[in-house]
Amino acid sequence: MTGFDQGYSRRTFLRLTGALGTTAALGGVVAACNVVGSGAKTTGTFNWMTWGDHWIQTQLDKIAKDVNISTNISELSGNAEGYAKLKEVKGQLDKMSADAMWVPNAYFKDGLVEPFDINSLKVSSQLYSFAREFPYWQAAGGGYMAYPFGWSPIMIYYDPAKVTGNPTDWQVLLDPKYKGRIVVENQPEEIVAYMARAAGIDKPYDLTDDQLTTVKGYLEKLKPNVLKFAQQATDSVAAMVSGEAWLITGNIGNEDRVKDGGGPEIKGYVPSEGTVGWHDGEMIVKEGANKSLILPFLEQSQQAELIAENFLVNGRPLFNEKAYKILTDQGKKDQADRYLYGKAGDVLPKVVLKGPGTSTDKSIKLFNDIFGGG
Amino acid sequence: MTAEVVGGVETAPSTVVSRGRMARLRELAPFVPAGLLLGVLFFAPLAVMLVFSFWQTNANLDIVPTWTLDNYATFFQTSAYLRTLAKTVIMGGAVTAICLVVAFAIAYFLARYVSRRWARIALLVVIVPFWSSYLLRVYSWQAILGEKGALNQLLMGLGLISEPSRLFVYNDIGTFIVLTYVYLPFAILVLYASLERFDYTQLTAAQDLGASPSRAFRHVLLPQIRPGLITAAIFVFIPILGEFLTPSMVGGASGLLIANLIQTFFKNALVPQGAALGFLIVAFVTVLLIIFRRYLRVEDVYARG
Amino acid sequence: MARDVDPLETMPVSRYAGPTRWGLRVIFFLLILFLYLPIVFMVAFSFDESSTPSLPIQGPTLHWYDVMIHNRQLLTAVQNTVSVSLIVAVLATIIGTMAAFVLVRGRLRYPNGIRIVFTLPIMVPGVLIGIALLVFFSRAFHANLSLMTVIAGQLVVTVPFVVLIVASRLQSFDRKLEWAAADLGASPRRTLRHVVLPLIAPAILAGALICITLSIDEFVITWFTVGNQPTLPTYIYTKVKFGVTPEVNAVATVMLVATLLIFGVASIVLGRATRRTSRKRAATPG
Repeated sequence: MTGFDQGYSRRTFLRLTGALGTTAALGGVVAACNVVGSGAKTTGTFNWMTWGDHWIQTQLDKIAKDVNISTNISELSGNAEGYAKLKEVKGQLDKMSADAMWVPNAYFKDGLVEPFDINSLKVSSQLYSFAREFPYWQAAGGGYMAYPFGWSPIMIYYDPAKVTGNPTDWQVLLDPKYKGRIVVENQPEEIVAYMARAAGIDKPYDLTDDQLTTVKGYLEKLKPNVLKFAQQATDSVAAMVSGEAWLITGNIGNEDRVKDGGGPEIKGYVPSEGTVGWHDGEMIVKEGANKSLILPFLEQSQQAELIAENFLVNGRPLFNEKAYKILTDQGKKDQADRYLYGKAGDVLPKVVLKGPGTSTDKSIKLFNDIFGGG
Repeated sequence: MTAEVVGGVETAPSTVVSRGRMARLRELAPFVPAGLLLGVLFFAPLAVMLVFSFWQTNANLDIVPTWTLDNYATFFQTSAYLRTLAKTVIMGGAVTAICLVVAFAIAYFLARYVSRRWARIALLVVIVPFWSSYLLRVYSWQAILGEKGALNQLLMGLGLISEPSRLFVYNDIGTFIVLTYVYLPFAILVLYASLERFDYTQLTAAQDLGASPSRAFRHVLLPQIRPGLITAAIFVFIPILGEFLTPSMVGGASGLLIANLIQTFFKNALVPQGAALGFLIVAFVTVLLIIFRRYLRVEDVYARG
Repeated sequence: MARDVDPLETMPVSRYAGPTRWGLRVIFFLLILFLYLPIVFMVAFSFDESSTPSLPIQGPTLHWYDVMIHNRQLLTAVQNTVSVSLIVAVLATIIGTMAAFVLVRGRLRYPNGIRIVFTLPIMVPGVLIGIALLVFFSRAFHANLSLMTVIAGQLVVTVPFVVLIVASRLQSFDRKLEWAAADLGASPRRTLRHVVLPLIAPAILAGALICITLSIDEFVITWFTVGNQPTLPTYIYTKVKFGVTPEVNAVATVMLVATLLIFGVASIVLGRATRRTSRKRAATPG
């Protein structure tokens, strides 16, 4: 009986709340399902899938105000997932960001993206000249596959107070002295690849069976030294800050992040045997309904002032040469140099760019073999 | 209206039992949305994935219709997969056991000794922390369990240890703690729903008849909440087989569980291999459930009056 | 009977009852401590000056709250996530409860088999379901991805939880209560509404809460089935290159406080409504 009486008033209240809440929620959802725009010429909205460090909200707002081009952003979690998604959604996206070797070997080969004349963009003259001439981005029928943006090698960082001897190569990661003191990023393919580089192999993404056996030995020596796999850079940086890790692998910029977190002064270097890394770019999706907006948008978004701001916010080098001059004028030359900003020409030749290769399957199986099972 | 007695088992009065095909369809109609949902959005898409799992990827990372059993054979050819599966099952079993015990204590407390209104508030208080990003919570656990973390500082402050211990995280203990943390609320919710309607006077009656409290507990309470216990076990054990984030973040280099190995394939666009491994795990769990189906029996406990 | 007091509280039971009850109270508070410990740190990190969550905490500062308020993408993500979770919870609870009734009472031929079938979506790795749905939505339905497809995908993994938990509660439901209601002249629908549903309400509530929990942090399936709409999990988990910064901690703190406030207000309002109704009923004659 008590249940009954309580039931009426409570049920009415809950019903009302439920109805209101659901209506509000549905309204929000329907409003958010904004239809993909169609066929706009030089103004409008386009859809862009990219990483979080490729855009800054205030910059996008200014571009929207200046030239009436705005963009809906969806976030990328990785090259392979992005590739899988674009293959299916095709025209629902107009612009896609991807890492260097994924562009020709996955996106372009499948005809998902279309090349464009990079020199037709005035802003491209602000780029370092070599960035406009990557041979692997040059389409056979003419045209450039992507507009280059940023880059980073995978580097080793260490705490000089704990790691003595000024290491300069990959071997330090295999030293049993550092058991449980290394944090690597959770990227199995890259771990196998840079161990291959440590073994002196030139093509870490196209390993032969013999090379795989060599790499296996390296991985076995690495495993006991690994403390954990970092999901994001935050993870590795936190481990350095707390002192649990003495060595980490990662992208450029971790020294500042560790110091900002209250951690020790660390040093980073590109290992002497060579390393793997990435540079990325923006591609035009061939079936994108709004793809005509991309080039005008790039003309605005790749301007040196915006790139310089992006560098200061995200802390990794970019391909815009004029931005380097702007940073120098702002008194940030030291920081830019520490981040190897103007040194792409020196560093990139030592870097094998990550991307799909012929031995991906075997490398992943090797990784599972070594790191699985406890 | 008296109950019909059919074959020694009472059934509900005839107003409840429907006859005829139209009535039967009306009886089954409420199942249709769920059936459609699973049929169209689960079985059909996964059937496609099942086919993919027998195909291959070419160097271009496209799935090509070349039939092969290699993707499945890998599981049996490399001991790492079997070892990892075994480790996952053990970890899952351990976490399920402790979740059931703790959740039972909490649910029993809330169901028996707390008024219904406060019990519901308590349930909300229990579940609300889990409406925040899991990643952030695990970062917090790292800060608590780590070498310079809160736990170590507490233990050192209390004088229990003299130097920080690295025992708590980046190993199986860390995975165990965080997995228990993640799945405990589910077990609590399920067991509370089960214990809430239990008539506790039965325990008093049993004691009146001479049973000790623990006997009453074991022979009166536990059998009647068995469906709830089994559901709670399912809600904890089975999702753990799919957990990859926790082991990679707090499990350390040797802490990878089976779902991590599946993830490595998908993260590199190797869909057939990942799908094959995924389906093998599904087959394994299904076989387990079929073997133990006797314990999952959906009997109407009260139908026998 | 304004408050439901457990009559057992007043009856002497075994001599273990007192200590047992105190022991359980202690366990309960230890549990709350355990569950909220990482939350305390999560909130604390939102006031940390450094952009990496680690001890010791420098600050405190409100900087990240400022960043959060100006981060439109993040706020839209929160809005989308909350909407989607509510819709998924409501739909999954309705669909799942209906199916549970048929599962337990529909005299199906293979109820155990169907139960295992409902367990399958929980077993399959989320990434497999996500990719399968992506392929299916695009090629079979030619549907544009949006929050609608996200809701559909999340329903696949949440409905089984509701079905299993409501079915387990229904299993041990005392049918004699329904027969009594029928004896007193209630139609099956009235019995359902006034006898059965209120009594299995805890299971339905538990199912709904589980759905919200699963949906709020659902990343894998969501990422593959979403269009251009950000959700909180996709915002957080996609920061792989450079990591999240504490404005997400700020958002999580705000969400936590807001949820607790809403529940607090709701329970006060409900409590007052109940007391008013009971007082009214006590006041009116017969």
